[in-house]
Amino acid sequence: MARPVTVLLFAGARVAVGRSELRWSVPPGGLAAGDLARQIAAEYPRLAPILRSSRLVRNGEYVRSASETVRPGDEFAIHPPYGGG
Amino acid sequence: MTDRPLSVAAAFRALEGPGAGAVSIFVGRVRPDPGPAGRVVALVYEAHRGPALARFRALARAAERRFRTLRVVIWHRSGRLRVGEISVIVGTACAHRAPAFAAARFLIEDLKVTVPIWKSERARPGRRPRRRPARPGGRSAG
Repeated sequence: MARPVTVLLFAGARVAVGRSELRWSVPPGGLAAGDLARQIAAEYPRLAPILRSSRLVRNGEYVRSASETVRPGDEFAIHPPYGGG
Repeated sequence: MTDRPLSVAAAFRALEGPGAGAVSIFVGRVRPDPGPAGRVVALVYEAHRGPALARFRALARAAERRFRTLRVVIWHRSGRLRVGEISVIVGTACAHRAPAFAAARFLIEDLKVTVPIWKSERARPGRRPRRRPARPGGRSAG
């Protein structure tokens, strides 16, 4: 069985989902980043408005296109707008 | 990124070295601002650590290219910080003051919008006017 994707959630995304981390099953060939984000938002509807202003990160790098493939075993993060300092 | 208190003295020591005629240090602290949930008593910082540290390194390289910094400090707290605690220190060492100031400004402004760090407020609800308990048979003095 293919390894799940580890989904990391921060700030408002973490609050919306109620957890800081999820394990998400994707097909063996992977799934487009945009589709993965939509699947998660369908499961957790409070995440949907936060996703619109968030950046997606795969294995520590920004996702450049919603069609970029997220593969089994990848780390996928949702970054709401930053607020350090 | 650290969950331990930040020290301005340690930052200054880290910036010392030959050629550094100017050292500029910016320190950010937790303010007791009034917020919608009451007065802020603490901030909780969280970060996506790997990408945050990668961005710190990229910022340091950018400061070196743009301002000829000799040394740079970019330190940020994580975890729960009480009002008055230091949340961030950026420091720059340059030959002269103008690039030292400019580089420190560049680092803190860029950090706030490009580094995956988030803060959430912990507030103490404001006091509401107390209602006097009604005295049996008496009148409110109100």
